[in-house]
Amino acid sequence: MSRVSAAKTSVGRRSARGGMSRNAGSDVKAAYLFIAPAMIGFFVFVGYPLVRSFYLALTKYNGLTDPVFVGLGNFRRLFTTDPAFWPALRATGYLVVLYVPLSLILGLALAMFCNQRFAGVRVVRTLAYLPVVLPAIATITLWKFILDPQVGLLNTVLDRLGLPTSLWLQSANTSMPSVVLVMLWGVGATMIIFLAALQSVPTELYEAARVDGAGPWSVFFRITLPMISPIMLLQVILQTTAALQTFNQPKILTNGGPGFSTNVLMLSIYNNGFPTLGRIPQLGYASAQVWVLFVIIIAVIALTAKFSSLWTYSDTSD
Amino acid sequence: MTLPTEAAEATALTAGTEPATRAPARKKPRLIGTTSWYVVAIFICAVMIVPLLWMITIGLKSRTAVFDIPPKLLPHEWTWSNFVNGPKAIHFPRLFLNSMIITALSVFGGVLTAMMAGYALARLRFPGRKLWFYLFVGSMLLPGVVGLIPLFQLYKSIGWYDTWLPLIVPAFLGGNPLFIFLARQYFLAIPYSIDEAAKIDGAGHLRIFVSVMLPLTRPAWLTMAILAFQASWNDYLNPLVYLYSSGKWPLSVGMAAFVSPFAGKTPDWSYYMATNLLYMLPPLIIFFAAQRYFIQGLGALGSTNQK
Repeated sequence: MSRVSAAKTSVGRRSARGGMSRNAGSDVKAAYLFIAPAMIGFFVFVGYPLVRSFYLALTKYNGLTDPVFVGLGNFRRLFTTDPAFWPALRATGYLVVLYVPLSLILGLALAMFCNQRFAGVRVVRTLAYLPVVLPAIATITLWKFILDPQVGLLNTVLDRLGLPTSLWLQSANTSMPSVVLVMLWGVGATMIIFLAALQSVPTELYEAARVDGAGPWSVFFRITLPMISPIMLLQVILQTTAALQTFNQPKILTNGGPGFSTNVLMLSIYNNGFPTLGRIPQLGYASAQVWVLFVIIIAVIALTAKFSSLWTYSDTSD
Repeated sequence: MTLPTEAAEATALTAGTEPATRAPARKKPRLIGTTSWYVVAIFICAVMIVPLLWMITIGLKSRTAVFDIPPKLLPHEWTWSNFVNGPKAIHFPRLFLNSMIITALSVFGGVLTAMMAGYALARLRFPGRKLWFYLFVGSMLLPGVVGLIPLFQLYKSIGWYDTWLPLIVPAFLGGNPLFIFLARQYFLAIPYSIDEAAKIDGAGHLRIFVSVMLPLTRPAWLTMAILAFQASWNDYLNPLVYLYSSGKWPLSVGMAAFVSPFAGKTPDWSYYMATNLLYMLPPLIIFFAAQRYFIQGLGALGSTNQK
């Protein structure tokens, strides 16, 4: 873009408008040809599943015979009789409450740590981002062995340092915190977004604060945090919706156990819809669970966005 | 007008050099500050790198030495053969080839169709342009799991179950709405005089797209290609659901299956960790070769929503 001068741009834009109206017909045809794959994709992979999934949620369906309409029966069963649903909801909530705040706090702390002028800061930043680059399955399986109570790295290191060890994934009390620990190893993704946000805060603000004699805490709470609040809002939404849909970690690390302690909603949906051989898939029932999850996600996004005006900063002079 | 991706790139790249501490001439507190910064830095680096080094030592241990109690940090006998026998036991070459084919095709399809849609949305006038833009952006909010069950049944009814088609074809149909959004933002910032000049030279839209627009938008589609590569290489749930026969599995499903408890048999962790290193290598190589595009991708997400 730097190859084209600004003056040429404004002239070009005006003449392009003219050009567009002159051969608008060919433009329309070309436009639909260019956008056709995405349009078909939208109908097949967004529109159709949305409608079909809602219908299936109201049916009893095993995937072989035709679905039988049962109205709100699936939801009644979910909320009143299924012994596994409330634990799944509780496990999902526990995961979100543990993971989201920790991920935001650690991510922001790491970003501020890497936003300083020291030799070697690039190395720290690259290494902190490294786990995000590695295949999720590779790191999850690695951590499964690190958390092994007998021969795992974590207990070995804790033992050598004289610190108390833990059963990690194998005890119902520590299994979910252990899953969250594995997820937090990938905090580099949160860090990178915060780092970009911190870089966009005008340095004059910090200079002015220094002249006024503001301490590091008031600089953080009165300048840094308000200035990055739009990104914080985005991060809250992204992290919460991602955490609500966590599947890989509990599936591979614990498969929901011990007991129901890590049996999150996604895992429950998977096990109902795609059970091991010999059991009948409950696709209608799993669809009802999908819609419970979907409604929660939409509610989280709507509520976060609605109340965001209370704590995000916006430049009114804009 | 600055491009969102360019702004993010600039900020991400200067992250190390931008002054955040302009310390006055107070010598002693600065020394303490520097020392504690490096102590924390070493701790962070250790947390990130030690698990990976430990993985390599496990890969070098013999099958039984892995379960020595108390565990030893370094192998006393270096079993290099794990790097040959491990991949053989896991059928790594075949899984790798499967992953490569699936990933290459879905990256190509996802980036191409998103660029095409972005071009139309940003540079061509047609009825419904706004509507389609909002539909694509809105579909970013749709959780993937909503489509899982209806699409599974759809694929099954047209005979795509246990083939790679469910993993590849969606990419060729606009795949990721985020890419369409990023492509449109990038195309909007390109001067219209360029199209005009090309049109006067007699170029059609296809020609303009291929030989004018694609070279100009290289940073955008490279970023998308890397995001698409990561998404496809890491995908676990979709191949797990759509592929039944182990000969068609990609690496993610094959690797996870090797260490999942099967009939009470303990998996061979030294074989596994040696192979795991090979599994990590392709993304690692791409990361170090194109680091700026990785960081740009996420940064762009941040700065486009900042407005």
